[in-house]
Amino acid sequence: MPDPIIRFENVTFSYAGTDEPALHDISLEIMPGEYVAILGLNGAGKTTLGLCVNGVVPTMLAGDLEGSVTVGGLDVADYPVREMAKLVGMVFDNPEFQMSQMSAEEEVALGLENAGTPYEDMKRIIPETLKLVGLEGFESRSPLGLSGGQQQRLAIAAVLAMHPKVLIMDEPTSNLDPIGKQEVFDMAAKLNRENGMTVIVIEHEVEVMARYADRVIVLDHGRIIMNGTPQEIFGRAEELATLGLRVPEAAAIAAILSARGLWKGPVPITTEPAVEAITELLGAKNG
Amino acid sequence: MSMQAALPVALIPGNSIIHRINPITKIVWVVGYIVLAFATQNIIILGVMAVFAFMLAPIAGITRPLLKGMLILVPIGSSLIALQIIAPAVEKPWTPAWELGGFVIYTDGLYYGLVLLGRIVASLIIALVMVMTTHPSDLFTSLAKLKMPYILNFMSSMTLQLIPVFQREFGIIMSAQKSRGMKGSGFAAVLPSFVPVFVGAIERVQQLAISLESRGFGSDGHKTSYRQVRARPLDWIIGVLGFVVLIGLSVISILKGLWNISALITFPGPFVAGLFFVCAAVFVGFLVLIAVFSFKK
Repeated sequence: MPDPIIRFENVTFSYAGTDEPALHDISLEIMPGEYVAILGLNGAGKTTLGLCVNGVVPTMLAGDLEGSVTVGGLDVADYPVREMAKLVGMVFDNPEFQMSQMSAEEEVALGLENAGTPYEDMKRIIPETLKLVGLEGFESRSPLGLSGGQQQRLAIAAVLAMHPKVLIMDEPTSNLDPIGKQEVFDMAAKLNRENGMTVIVIEHEVEVMARYADRVIVLDHGRIIMNGTPQEIFGRAEELATLGLRVPEAAAIAAILSARGLWKGPVPITTEPAVEAITELLGAKNG
Repeated sequence: MSMQAALPVALIPGNSIIHRINPITKIVWVVGYIVLAFATQNIIILGVMAVFAFMLAPIAGITRPLLKGMLILVPIGSSLIALQIIAPAVEKPWTPAWELGGFVIYTDGLYYGLVLLGRIVASLIIALVMVMTTHPSDLFTSLAKLKMPYILNFMSSMTLQLIPVFQREFGIIMSAQKSRGMKGSGFAAVLPSFVPVFVGAIERVQQLAISLESRGFGSDGHKTSYRQVRARPLDWIIGVLGFVVLIGLSVISILKGLWNISALITFPGPFVAGLFFVCAAVFVGFLVLIAVFSFKK
């Protein structure tokens, strides 16, 4: 068993000037190559949890941190964010606010330039990364002139170009249309499976989590309430409902049918197995 | 979301010889122009400089935008000439050109007014030609090569980026206020929009700072550059030529006591008087136009 790449040990954090901790006694281990989804209402501490991993909390956003967060063996409190950037790439929810350059290719180049990547390598990496996010042909376009979805993919490319070991995406698809959302999650899944990148996604889209994540962590008022496979978590529809969260439609339908004594077997969390099971159910009734 | 930079002075894309000249060469010319413009009081040199700089515009295909950018000279030029004619910036005694009651205008000021204007015109045109033919990224890459600190460089390029963003944000907030029944145009509408725009700006910049730092911005190590700006032999020739000619003329000019040739030129009284009234009329007309436009809406 390899060492966890991210380890939270009894982390409690309150932002400066607030009494209520944003994170409350969090202990968590994430293994290299895991695809973790973080679920919770607004204000549950999801973003703060993500910011702890690249050290923005506590080095840039001040507050009171107890316990320790280590990433790749480094305690984030001891290193500036720019050093952690070599390990952790972070994409935020408002892509437009992350753009600073005159063209898409320069936006992607920024992190590489800061890391001192030789020009010859950049010449290879930048088109490669733009292609990966489906932005080839947009090299010299102004980032601010792109659509919301393109901007979001560019923000992801800007981080991916640095080849981080951990990719954190904080509501990466809030500005995207359904196809755009699909593209972003497919891409993250591909990086996760093919390159072994550890992916942490903060999302409201439970359907997406059910499809891609290895593990779902549910936060509420800064505490970890649930932590398990999507199968386990989304099988607990009632519990989630008390937290104000919903489960994928497939799981919701199964829960209703099971309450009426019509559903037996495992709870489906994605559409295909649900369709299979329902077809079987109908077939059994008719035949 | 699509949006164009609404700056009055911006790059006019093209592939002319002027566009392709190395930015450092252009910087040499602009700096040389400014040095010479302020080292000389020779109106002929200033005139030749302005005309030469303007001749670059058709080569680069930027004549129309350049003329638009030069509109700023109308109020500056007219007020400068008119004021210099009433109150010359030279030692007394002044030579009166025309008198009406207690109101006197003088010929002495005209030469100095033209020199001041010539300096502004020549420097402005060459600077506009540079800005309109150089991609900002290439310019900043070149400045970085000249050891301009990275942070300063980044700040200037960032500012260029943020201006159109804030213009748009301003538009959005103005529309929002209009839709809630507030005054939608004119100065009175702009004022209440300031606070939301600037609060939004601070939030935006904070998010940007976090995002940049998360991409290693500000790390101490060696930095590389993705944009490569080449210096061809031609760039060297043009740059050295510009340096030699412009700085050489500056030195000669200073050695000759700024090369003032006002003694050789006499302006007839009626000409000075006529010019004064034209300039004054243009300047006042300009002010009236501005006033009308800002109150009409």
